[in-house]
Amino acid sequence: MIKNWLKIIILGVLDALGIWAAIGLLQAGGWGVLAVLIFGLIGLNVALLSKKAYPLRYLLPGLVLFGLMVVYPIIYNINIAFMNYGTGNILSKTQVISQFMNKYYQPEGSERFLFQIFRNKKGDLKVLFISKVSNEAYLSVGDHIESVDLHNPSLIYKNGEIIRIDDYEKMSMIQIIQNLSKIQNLAFKYNDGLVKFRSVSEFRVYKPQYSYNGEHNTLIDLKTNKVYKPINGTFTSSDGEQLSPGFRDYVGFKNFIDILRNPQVSGPFIRVFSWTFIWALLSVFTTFTLGLTLAILLNDSTLRLRYLYRTLLILPYVVPGFISILIWRGLLNTNFGVINDVLQNLFSVKVPWFQDPFWAKVALLIVNLWLGFPYMMLISLGALQSIPSELYEAARIDGAGSWQRFYSITFPLLMITLAPLLIGSFAFNFNNFTVIYLLTGGQPPIPGSQTPAGATDILISYTYKLAFGGAGSQYGYAAAISIIIFLIIGTISAFNFRFTKRLEEMGENL
Amino acid sequence: MKKLLVILVCFTVLLGTVILASEAGKLLIWTDEVRKPTIENLGKQFTKLYGVPVTVQEMSFGDIRDKLGVAGPAGKGPDLIIGAHDWLGQLVVSGLLEPLEFMQEMKGKFVKTAVDAFTYGGKIYGLPFATEAIGLIYNKDLVPTPPKTFKELEAIAKKLTHPEKKEYGFITQASQPDPYHSFPFFTAYGGYIFGKNPDGTLNPCDIGLDTKGAVKGAYLLLSLIKKGLVPEGIDYQTMTSLFNAGKIGMILTGPWAVGGAVKSGINVGVAKIPTVDGNTPRPFVGVQGFMMSNFSKNKALAAFFLKDYVATKDTMLALYKADPRAPAFKPALTAVAQDPIVKGFAENIAVGIPMPSIPQMSAVWTAWANAISLFCTQKEAPEKALSDAVISIKKTIKCH
Repeated sequence: MIKNWLKIIILGVLDALGIWAAIGLLQAGGWGVLAVLIFGLIGLNVALLSKKAYPLRYLLPGLVLFGLMVVYPIIYNINIAFMNYGTGNILSKTQVISQFMNKYYQPEGSERFLFQIFRNKKGDLKVLFISKVSNEAYLSVGDHIESVDLHNPSLIYKNGEIIRIDDYEKMSMIQIIQNLSKIQNLAFKYNDGLVKFRSVSEFRVYKPQYSYNGEHNTLIDLKTNKVYKPINGTFTSSDGEQLSPGFRDYVGFKNFIDILRNPQVSGPFIRVFSWTFIWALLSVFTTFTLGLTLAILLNDSTLRLRYLYRTLLILPYVVPGFISILIWRGLLNTNFGVINDVLQNLFSVKVPWFQDPFWAKVALLIVNLWLGFPYMMLISLGALQSIPSELYEAARIDGAGSWQRFYSITFPLLMITLAPLLIGSFAFNFNNFTVIYLLTGGQPPIPGSQTPAGATDILISYTYKLAFGGAGSQYGYAAAISIIIFLIIGTISAFNFRFTKRLEEMGENL
Repeated sequence: MKKLLVILVCFTVLLGTVILASEAGKLLIWTDEVRKPTIENLGKQFTKLYGVPVTVQEMSFGDIRDKLGVAGPAGKGPDLIIGAHDWLGQLVVSGLLEPLEFMQEMKGKFVKTAVDAFTYGGKIYGLPFATEAIGLIYNKDLVPTPPKTFKELEAIAKKLTHPEKKEYGFITQASQPDPYHSFPFFTAYGGYIFGKNPDGTLNPCDIGLDTKGAVKGAYLLLSLIKKGLVPEGIDYQTMTSLFNAGKIGMILTGPWAVGGAVKSGINVGVAKIPTVDGNTPRPFVGVQGFMMSNFSKNKALAAFFLKDYVATKDTMLALYKADPRAPAFKPALTAVAQDPIVKGFAENIAVGIPMPSIPQMSAVWTAWANAISLFCTQKEAPEKALSDAVISIKKTIKCH
């Protein structure tokens, strides 16, 4: 009984949290996440309340999280790749149209009014205006203002000031300030304009600047009678004048075509791509070699204090990369870094770590080696444990030396378990934006290059420069780039997996 | 039945908290931790007088712009933000800011450069409170009188420079590469970033970084490195730590470096950047101010708050005390003008140029930095490096 109650209370809390999140999403217009959330919420209730759906209790949390954290971002990314979403085009069309509809201009010689506001018990407002031009008095009636005689008996005076109109009491300055958010929206028709709030000391005549024709989907400038039609998410006139802001809209394959046609992409592409490839390959190779060597050493049971060494060697993996990369940046500083100080004292050489393309690449590989070897060491240590010791005994009896034992037993057996992880590591380093961005930022630049690509830029860091270093942030463009990079890595990984399949088949024959 | 009841109770409790999030009639301001106490105080005074609640939400300075871009369109976000003028371009073209109409009548009370910086497409989008520019910061114990000309500067620098002891006379991080700090070199002989259209707005396709003047300025920077006065690639951290240790005579940077140096016991002075062959080098001017979200439900209230409570001498002086940079509000500036540090920076601000706020500026930073790095450390000719940079910028922002 208590267990049942507990279950229902927990479910109630979860449902409430879910609904609370759903309301937020509803307001923000996050329809995709909302759909997943509602699906998950219904599933949760079914799973917990129905006896038949018992196994779902264990599956469902995983599925929902998979949907939210993996599937949804992918769909979102693909969706954005076909949009113009970015600086200048971040609002929805409705929001942009409503911004234009809320633009007013002051016609020449726009009449100004002093005002007093009166309020009845229901909270309705009445405004008394005195024109600064003609000294005429006007009173708001419904949606317009009408001329009023200040001696009208409905105006109640006290000490020469109007304190009441019918049952409307005069509002004090403080009351006006407190209700400004309502007062700012008042607008009364007057001649062919609107009398609107301008500041706490005056109202003024304004005219709306734009009108939107929903039937033709056009925006008309009422001042100039110019007609603007939406082109790629921006209202554009026939002579090419564009109205800012634009709105986010689907633009088909425009982003992809822009990437492929852009000479700044195609120009340095081969060079950037080959460095990316070499970088990923060398990163995996160096970290794996060092990691494996250390793992074999640490796996030797005759080594004393090996648990201490192991703990110390894992440290680079534990320190956040953001911190250690920036520290490395300081250590490698050409004129003031410790590393060059040491090199200068010992060999009297000064290495231009970040100024020379070759040394910048070496610096990157050294830092990535430092960051990456503990991971390789950890997985190698695990894999080493799983190799049966009988194999070594048999080999020793057959007279195999230590090198031969490594070459013929350890390495092939390790590769069976580690190859997929190495491919994963390759794909990770292929996109290792953090190290490049924080250590060299793609620098040094290439002499004579007319693109922003630097000597150490990899695909992801270069395209980041293109998407976010042009005119603001081009999210749609960036999403399209990420899809293209995904296709490249996907192809390479597919080839790699074929290769490992062969390795596995080899392993089975062993 | 009981099950349903429990679930319903939970719903209503949580629903209640959601509906409270209505905003009309309340002011919400986003600011960073430095200015939060000042604005909060001001908010309390305002609430006391008018009964209008003012909430101040703290956010790191760098996050405010991007978060406004997400929160505003979602119907959330603040009425007012405190930020830098160079955010204007991206915020305005995306439709996130509301122009401040009342500033047209008040602009006479503010330093002109500050108002210009917050003007975009003919409209004023911000109420400025602080201005900043880099200047010649010097250690009075090493350099008793600051140099008036670059020749004097080089003479002093030569005397004080002993690289083997890590002692330097004059350091600029411009060659790091740091385009922001290199700007006075480029403007010394008339280089510029963007030219102007006849209506006074910036023309993103007229880029003056490869003009004769800009190239001459680049050679000036290069000559400092070649003469062994300025070590190439020195960065801000190294520079300030050496300066704070009393090992550098003069550095070229902004007010953000003064606090640390004073704390380290350095006798700090600030002077105008020395003239070059009789020409005045012009630094970038950055301006901080209040901006209004286009998605505010309290535009009139926010405008009233800005006009009658922020644009006052007391508030402006309180903001100055929280972060001592030259005030943009004239009465406040006069009040603190006797402070020698403020006075020194104000002289540089007076000749400075507002950092361009059009979105195309982000394309300029990368290419410009590349060019500086190429001619300072990779031995490429400045004219070639700069003309390549300009071609690259024009391609990136699609000028034909």
